Amino acid sequence: MLDRTKAPEKKTTGKITIPQAQQIRLANGAQLIVVNAGTQDVAKIEIIFDAGTRYQNQSLSARGAVSLLSEGTKTRTSQQIAEQFDFYGSFPEHSFDRDFASLTLYSTNKFLEQSLGVLGDMIYNPIYPEHELDIFKKKGKQALIVELEKVVTVARQNFFSTLFSNKHPYGAYATPDDFDLLQRNFIAHFHDNYHTSSNCLIILSGKISYKEIKIVEEILGKTPFGTSVETNKIILPTTLQTPQKVFSYKNDALQSAIRVGKQMIKRNHIDFPKFMVLNTILGGYFGSRLMRNIREEKGYTYGISSTILPFKETSVFVIGTEVGANFTKDTLSEIYKEIDLLCTQKVPDTELELVKSHLIGEVLRTFDGPFAIADSIASLYEYNDLDFSYFERTIDTIRSVSSTELLDVANKYLSQKDFIESVAGKLETT
Amino acid sequence: MIEVIKHTLPNGLKLLIHQDFSTPIASFNLLYNVGAKDEHPEKTGFAHLFEHLMFGGSVNIPVYDEPLERVGGENNAFTNNDITNYYLTLPVENIETAFWLESDRMLSLAFTKKSLDVQRNVVVEEFNQRYLNQPYGEVWLHLRPLAYKVHPYMWATIGKSVEHIKSATLNDVKNFFYSHYAPNNSILCVAGPIEPNAIIELTNKWFGPIGKRDVVERNLPKEPTQTSPRKLEIERDVPFNAIYKAYHMCNRNHADFPATDLMSDLLSNGKSARLYQRLVKEKQLFSNVNAYITGDIDAGLFIITGQLYPTTTYEQAEIAINEEISVLQNEPVSAYELEKVQNKYESNFTFEETSVLNKAMNLAFYELLGDANSINLEVQKYRSVTPEHIQTIAQKILKEDNCSTLYYKSNQNK
Repeated sequence: MLDRTKAPEKKTTGKITIPQAQQIRLANGAQLIVVNAGTQDVAKIEIIFDAGTRYQNQSLSARGAVSLLSEGTKTRTSQQIAEQFDFYGSFPEHSFDRDFASLTLYSTNKFLEQSLGVLGDMIYNPIYPEHELDIFKKKGKQALIVELEKVVTVARQNFFSTLFSNKHPYGAYATPDDFDLLQRNFIAHFHDNYHTSSNCLIILSGKISYKEIKIVEEILGKTPFGTSVETNKIILPTTLQTPQKVFSYKNDALQSAIRVGKQMIKRNHIDFPKFMVLNTILGGYFGSRLMRNIREEKGYTYGISSTILPFKETSVFVIGTEVGANFTKDTLSEIYKEIDLLCTQKVPDTELELVKSHLIGEVLRTFDGPFAIADSIASLYEYNDLDFSYFERTIDTIRSVSSTELLDVANKYLSQKDFIESVAGKLETT
Repeated sequence: MIEVIKHTLPNGLKLLIHQDFSTPIASFNLLYNVGAKDEHPEKTGFAHLFEHLMFGGSVNIPVYDEPLERVGGENNAFTNNDITNYYLTLPVENIETAFWLESDRMLSLAFTKKSLDVQRNVVVEEFNQRYLNQPYGEVWLHLRPLAYKVHPYMWATIGKSVEHIKSATLNDVKNFFYSHYAPNNSILCVAGPIEPNAIIELTNKWFGPIGKRDVVERNLPKEPTQTSPRKLEIERDVPFNAIYKAYHMCNRNHADFPATDLMSDLLSNGKSARLYQRLVKEKQLFSNVNAYITGDIDAGLFIITGQLYPTTTYEQAEIAINEEISVLQNEPVSAYELEKVQNKYESNFTFEETSVLNKAMNLAFYELLGDANSINLEVQKYRSVTPEHIQTIAQKILKEDNCSTLYYKSNQNK
């Protein structure tokens, strides 16, 4: 007779194979990393530049510089670029954050040479046409106005601009009016200085053979791009860490968005993997303490989580949720209670074991397929100076960390009561 | 080519197996043939609320998530108008844990009052977060009942209103479970670095003992043909005017489906697509436009939508959209442009196959449509679409008599 009350015996995951990546220095100085894995004849190319918003002198110029690369080159109009990518069935994407900007191309291997040819043209020969800039400004302004209607956007912006101050490049936000002030020469200048071959990493992943590597070398590896002035390594102003509360009222809000957090150690810090385990316990997975308390016990929210957002110069530990307006105060006090608990009591063994197993599963997932591996390498480049031993150290820490060590880490980093608290919405329902 | 092995248990459970040795992770996808369309019109939002309750403990296992996390697994689920789909990924050596957990909640739930009380609140907050507390978030709550008068697609998966969710009782929940959750109403697909015989054995072991159930026979009313334009105007506290046009289209298994899908791609898949190039770039009437199909199993909707600039009138917006519709109706698409959207479809299809979980989900869904193997014919079906076919469909469905139009207006400048 089948005993359904007993779980099947757990089999331990054997040695985790960390995928190998090939590193190549291209003739123009750019670094190329190749990840060959997977079963489909497809490739992803990501080009990461140290070209985030922190380097800009005028609002929106970092974003404009990367967003408008696809809007015209010396030989192709915006429309021709779009036509060609679409015809080849390729998907170009771009993104930017505080530290980095990146261009990504997904392509079948069949059309890789053609579609990468277009991408190369965008990097080498963009012209940033005025009329395309006008459309970008008009569309971007309208989209931002809509975005600012959301409590979650307001809470997030207030959180970061309080944490870093709005004078700091990590705490400043573009306003709708900034779109009107954006000029073509700002973005062209930014492109020349920051989208450079000496200042980027190219990651090629998918089912990759010698042929695909050759294509990348041919198109992106020969002639240097960008003016190779010394990268302006901006020294960031220091920030004060004092507890502060900021509240933004929204009249018709049914829910409040909450952000509570502080600056944290960087990803290459020795304690980081331990803090990662601690963060997972608090709010880093579905069965986390915050989820169990705020969602599964009280039903205040659809979801709550805590995360560690990495930055080049720091990281930010932040708890985020949207809760029914009349649950706002209670949720805040429960959040602080849970943090206190981490600082005063050891994590029970069964809970720690569970989180460790969960995290090992997560690590396996980061190596699930070529694109996942490529993403892991991208963050290794961005925050760990391509120190590949980071993966092994993290796995070792997950397996070995004790509840005593976690209590120490909690006390070291979370007991100071110096949190920034940002709420947007309402404190009660009317 | 996605290879699939099929096996049906005596209790009616359909099992699909797909091998892929490129990953250490196994995917386990269990599809129940029940969605929001199976709800009582006065108890909407139930299929989705029920999905939440499936995580509140089953008859022999008090907590669902913990044992799965203990073996490094992850899971989630989604509900739409047609189906409820549960999926897990876990290191392959612990695949049996997935069988144990999923078979027990198919056997029976714990049905605790506490779980119902909490999940009702969670779903109300989900309703607020995703629909009511977002600019334009409630649009579909208005568009569906405008487009459908009798078919249950007239309500959204989340439900008609929070009141329906708040009033759900434990008895409702039990009835819903026994009339829809059954081995003979589900499709299981397991994919990853697995051995088929071992999977069949595990399926027999864990799901075999669950008896067949009397599943409520689905007997949905057919939506009558729309014969005149429908219009609705709503004013809300949003910054800009928006327009939504919904045209009735064919069902998922209809021979017109691929051509209708490609027609939406011609209008709006990628930056070179017609609506973006004409209305956003050239005429600069909209800050964004989109065209897409809902992709429902029963007859669905073809949507055209856009957000207007403050200087654009609704009349200008309608004229511009209708001009593009006229082009589709009067001029066959060129061989080049058709090939472009076909290439894009094929490429997208290939990229989807890079994920083992996606393959498992898709196989289960295609089996529900009739045959899992038919997934391998999709690209060919889309390749066979002709310019004439698209033109005929444009003439047939893209007309005002077949359209529900919603003006979602800003009241902020008053």
